Amino acid sequence: MRLWVFLAAAVFFATPSPAADFNPPLERLIANYIRPATAEFAASVEKLPGAVTGICADNRPETAEAFRSAYSGSLQAFSRIQFLRFGPLLEDDRLSRLAFLPDPRGIVQRQIRKIYAQKDPGVGSAESLKDKSVAVQGFPALQLIAFDKDSDVVLGRPGADKDYTCGYALAIALNLAAIAVEVDADWADPDGYSALLLSGGPQNERYRTSQEAMEDVFNALVTGLIIVRDQDLLPALGASATKAKANRLPFSRSGNSILYLSGELQSIQNAVASLGLEAVTPSDFQWIFNALGFEFGNAQTLLSELTPPLRQTFKDDDAYSRISVLAITVKSIRDTMALELAGALELAGGFNALDGD
Amino acid sequence: MTEAIRTVSRRGFLAAMGSLAAAPVFSGSTLAASLLNREAADGVPLFASAYRKADGEFGVGIVDELGQMLAEIALPGRGHGIAVARDGSRFVAFARRPGTFAVVVRPFEDAQPELITSDPGRHFYGHGCFSADGRLLYAVENDFAAARGVVGIYDMSGGATRRIGEFETNGIGPHDILLGPDHRTLIVANGGIETHPDNGREKLNLDTMAPSVAFMDSHTGDILSQHGLEKDLHQLSLRHMALDAKGRVWVGGQFEGSPDEVPPLVGVFSRDAEPETTVIPEAVASGLQNYIGSVAANAGGDVIAASAPRGGQTLFWSASSGAYLGARAIPDGCGVARIDQGSFLISDGNGALSLVTDPDDPAEILARPPGISWDNHLFNLAKIDAA
Repeated sequence: MRLWVFLAAAVFFATPSPAADFNPPLERLIANYIRPATAEFAASVEKLPGAVTGICADNRPETAEAFRSAYSGSLQAFSRIQFLRFGPLLEDDRLSRLAFLPDPRGIVQRQIRKIYAQKDPGVGSAESLKDKSVAVQGFPALQLIAFDKDSDVVLGRPGADKDYTCGYALAIALNLAAIAVEVDADWADPDGYSALLLSGGPQNERYRTSQEAMEDVFNALVTGLIIVRDQDLLPALGASATKAKANRLPFSRSGNSILYLSGELQSIQNAVASLGLEAVTPSDFQWIFNALGFEFGNAQTLLSELTPPLRQTFKDDDAYSRISVLAITVKSIRDTMALELAGALELAGGFNALDGD
Repeated sequence: MTEAIRTVSRRGFLAAMGSLAAAPVFSGSTLAASLLNREAADGVPLFASAYRKADGEFGVGIVDELGQMLAEIALPGRGHGIAVARDGSRFVAFARRPGTFAVVVRPFEDAQPELITSDPGRHFYGHGCFSADGRLLYAVENDFAAARGVVGIYDMSGGATRRIGEFETNGIGPHDILLGPDHRTLIVANGGIETHPDNGREKLNLDTMAPSVAFMDSHTGDILSQHGLEKDLHQLSLRHMALDAKGRVWVGGQFEGSPDEVPPLVGVFSRDAEPETTVIPEAVASGLQNYIGSVAANAGGDVIAASAPRGGQTLFWSASSGAYLGARAIPDGCGVARIDQGSFLISDGNGALSLVTDPDDPAEILARPPGISWDNHLFNLAKIDAA
């Protein structure tokens, strides 16, 4: 009996666990998260050109509010796809053209200043804009010309540059809409990138197994969390409360930081949920999903307790400490994903950590 | 995956070469102004690193001081280290070990990169360095039949690069190589790990490995001195190096022994003195998985940075006092390059280029080119002024 147990154990340990089939989770992600999110992005951004035309033709509080709402809606839809840093979003520099981020040294501002100084006609149409620098084509550029430092809409206001700015803003809106349509169409295409992602195997040059495809997707989710904390939150927090800079928060100029951060985190949570990884996770590790749900919930609670626009409210009440706690919470979510969940699924982690030299 | 270079068929290799020839060096983003109008010495810092793109393609990227991609050079396989000529006019990007290609790039000339292939029976081992006058290139190579490390010597003075000889490194698995401050001594880190191309990167001699740092005369190949660590550290593979202001060599290692041990990972070597090991605070050291990825010195050579990608930390020391200055968390950060006297640029596998000026302040993420995973090492391409 003892010998039998020993042999069974030896066989158990000698046989590597068969690699899990990650195609079903990836199919669920594409069908239940990516395609709806990219379709919603295209639908949201489609409204942006009309909102620009509206406020530029007739500048009054209603059209300003309509523009603000269209910009926020488009940005929120963007926050839900920006972490999909593989396939269609990378084609033709689309992600950089949608949003040139991070930009700690103000490259967008510098280049736009130059464009205005020269009254560069190249930004006057979507066709010519797409050949300009990626930094002046997307959401940050539109934010800069359409909002002032106090988060008020200035697009369409009377002034010497009104027509020029309106032309540029419309070009950006049309450019964003065109990119959104392309991203949506590429993800919807059953023979497009989704086919590559779902055909992991010896014949697939890019993904030799479904696990390799899953690792790319998983690492993009982790990178999305790294971006929230290291790129979006920490620069604004600085080394201490006295060195904090609210204007370093993403899309703070338009008063959309909370909306954007919330969208980033909610979308990663939803993408993870859509994968349905519970089905391929050993029972000892099922606790991870409850832990993630709890921590994502905490993050949203913290964000809901903040008042936009953060540029104005950052010094008030407990905003700094709430965002500090948020940064810690996001770090914890990242660790739970990158260490615990990746470990439970036997997924390889970072490029350098995995296989350095 | 690890045999990517080995399994490149002749046809595949030529196809890759075709793409290398077809893609101009300066097919950079729309953001980039041409490098061609620049001079190597015009004072704008440029950096280069190997990368992998999300579509699986490999190459070398040239970025400016704001982390913006100025040029991409396609490679036939995964790259690793880069040797930069002291005048900044050209660099050579090496294949990851065991590799068969290296690419000579003249970033300020309208010239296609030149491909060098390794000699039969030799594999490039990831790193190289130039002679002070830029005429010769020294490349670490593996003679796998004899299980010995060599330095291949290449004449770079003519139109095409020629291999003109080799020196033995007196060790197995040579990895990083530097030109010493006297401009004559070659310093080679013999990682000590034996591999054979038939087994890819499999480690064949972990029980008997004996890593060392060899100081060699670049004119004669004579071994001037050679230092290993104490016997209980014989499994610390000595791999990456940087010179400090006093001409001492800071060496980062990767421990092949029990993961339960927490050995020192960074040592300081000199030609004529016994090596010393540095101390990393226990709380930090225990999270590094005994693995240092890159070592670099600041412009003045008085601060040393060593990345630990498996621990997601980059560590800093004062070179003069040996004092540990602190660590900065950079997830999957590995490439480290000097920017100037007071700062380092750190590249990571998630595409970020982070500026660290003070280990106590958060790193500033300057850029994150989408779809780029920066590979192990980052290099400053600036001209080095004659000392």
